[in-house]
Amino acid sequence: MSRFIARRLGFMLLTMVIVSLAVFLISEAAPGDVARHILGQFATPAQVELLRDQMGLDQPLLIRYRDWLIGNDWKLRRLVGMPLVQKPVGDRGEIGWYAQAADGTLLQWKMRKEGLAELRTAPDGTKEEVPFDNWVEDEDGNSVHWGVDTANHVVLWVRDQVARETGVASAGRAMTEASGEQYFPIRKGLLRGDPGISQRTGRAVGPTLMRRVRNSFTLAILAFAVIMPVALVLGVLAGLKEGRATDRAISVMSLVTTSIPEFASGVFLILVFSFWLKILPGAAVFTSDVAPWKDPKLLVLPVLTLTLVEVGYVARMTRASMVEVMNAPYIRTAYLKGLPYRRIVFTHALRNALMAPITVIMLHVNWLVGGIVVVESVFGYPGLGLYLLDSAMFKDVNAIEAGAMLMVALAVGTQLLADVLYTFLNPRIRYT
Amino acid sequence: MAGQLSLETPKTKRTKKTLGGLLVIRDSRVGMVGLTLVTFWVLVAIFAPLIAPYSPLAQDSSAINQGPSAQYPLGTDTMGRDVLSRLVHGSRTILLLAPLSVICAVIVGAFLGLVGGYFGGIVDEVVMRLLDAIMAFPTILLYLIIISAIGPSALNVVIAITFVGAPGVARLVRSLTLDIRTRDYIRAAETRGEHPFFIMFREILPNARGPIIIDSMLRVGYAIFSIGTLGFLGLGLPPPTPDWGGMISEARKYIWTNPLGVLWPALAISSLVVGLNLFADGLREESTRYQ
Repeated sequence: MSRFIARRLGFMLLTMVIVSLAVFLISEAAPGDVARHILGQFATPAQVELLRDQMGLDQPLLIRYRDWLIGNDWKLRRLVGMPLVQKPVGDRGEIGWYAQAADGTLLQWKMRKEGLAELRTAPDGTKEEVPFDNWVEDEDGNSVHWGVDTANHVVLWVRDQVARETGVASAGRAMTEASGEQYFPIRKGLLRGDPGISQRTGRAVGPTLMRRVRNSFTLAILAFAVIMPVALVLGVLAGLKEGRATDRAISVMSLVTTSIPEFASGVFLILVFSFWLKILPGAAVFTSDVAPWKDPKLLVLPVLTLTLVEVGYVARMTRASMVEVMNAPYIRTAYLKGLPYRRIVFTHALRNALMAPITVIMLHVNWLVGGIVVVESVFGYPGLGLYLLDSAMFKDVNAIEAGAMLMVALAVGTQLLADVLYTFLNPRIRYT
Repeated sequence: MAGQLSLETPKTKRTKKTLGGLLVIRDSRVGMVGLTLVTFWVLVAIFAPLIAPYSPLAQDSSAINQGPSAQYPLGTDTMGRDVLSRLVHGSRTILLLAPLSVICAVIVGAFLGLVGGYFGGIVDEVVMRLLDAIMAFPTILLYLIIISAIGPSALNVVIAITFVGAPGVARLVRSLTLDIRTRDYIRAAETRGEHPFFIMFREILPNARGPIIIDSMLRVGYAIFSIGTLGFLGLGLPPPTPDWGGMISEARKYIWTNPLGVLWPALAISSLVVGLNLFADGLREESTRYQ
């Protein structure tokens, strides 16, 4: 059993590596340039080039993949000559990089009109800004300085070229400072818990993703809590009345609701409940930082939409399983023994009949994920699915990677859980 | 001559048998409802230019986002295009793309399943593990990655659905192959020294066709579902192609001013998928009843 789990975990890891590489390669090959996207269509080619440089997009693919995976601060610190440390900035979970001097002072450098300035934050929290004059001679005789800027890059400043370059890339949300000669975005790497900065929003992916995941999970768990009891009851009922009117009605209804795509049933529900009856809000308009359960009314229609689509599938599974069990020889034996019907159903049939659906439902999680993406899109619900969709449209590779890794881990993990659960429910099966 | 005849005879018999198999649908009332719905949309798609009062792309700037009227029976969309005409032409798009992508998925999946099931061993292991990896994925994520890589277009929608659907077909065909491979006529063909590909495609595949056909019917419904979803998410056909999913996502923005605009395409896609699934389910039920 433990060998089986270890093998499956290895398989999951392999899948994740392949997926992450695939996403990298694909976003490389796909048309469109994220720097151009950020700057807008009126940016000059020089500005686009500079932004690409600042975002590290001009580096080879494999280097970028390595930086994304395990970070590059341990390499960049050699350039700066001081350890690079991360400290939180502000209260939204954003994180800034600093160079740490021997006495514990945190250093950043910033270009001012009169020249390069050093921003110092002492260990006790006091800040001061002093003009920088500690240039180093390089092989060509230029005065240069490797430092950390205020937007998480390691930058090479050259003294004589400082003035010339200032302010080139000031369009849009891009860097307002472009004084350096070379840029390396500092990254800690996914494996060390840092998915990077979203190129679409300019914020760290991690905190946003966490909020989005929380919202999606709220939706999924609520939907699950509604779907499971309803579907199991309907399925068992239909299975017990096999071939009769109750069964036909339940089976056909569940086939119909499952067949209607989420976006169509969502639209029907909005029309009925918020347009004609005016009792529920038709869109879940709230910012992603507000917990969704603060206003439960917003959740009703999204949960109902998911329920409509998923309930039929689970009910049909349960029905098939129930029918099979009720035709089994041991149930006939129970009948012939003269046991009351109620007891046959509750003590003999149910346990065996519910085994299959429960594991099938866990395998169905991929469907639920897909349904959630569509439902979030219908209702404007700020969850993980919508985040991924928006990021994919923007080619925001850091956000797509983080979201995709999470989804794959979730999907493969649930399947593993389903297999393990199944061996406990059905001891006849042993994986090796 | 004689050789040709003996090749011809079983072939015609086989075709008749397949068609006869489809006729059991008459016994299923629900199946007939499904068949009626599907037939309705197929007829609409065939006679689209005769039914549609306007061109699906014609814009009327004096009637933008209107409700139903005598001039426009189902109203107009945000660009002043007739919703009825777009709906009718949209049925063509979806009824062309869905079967096409299912056929592609069945071809790819059947090939992989036959190869894996017939040869077994390392070939089977590699093919099946790869397909397992694809199937482990949330479908929607696959669509997102594929479409954002190759861009939204009719061909790419077909490619994406083929890629997502083929592993399922391959699994089915593989399990059928594993069963049929042990039959005596396969042993006979092997003894005759037939080429493995002859055995796979002339001996095994024709004998596995029943479950494959029923599975494909279910897949067409699912493909329409997927094409609609892709269109709704903006990953489907690029505008101005009339596409039901795209029409819904467009009309969804104006649901408060023109609520009926979003209702029609939603009804259209729902009725088509429901019809197909009822038909496929009826077919499956009737064909397995006496087994």
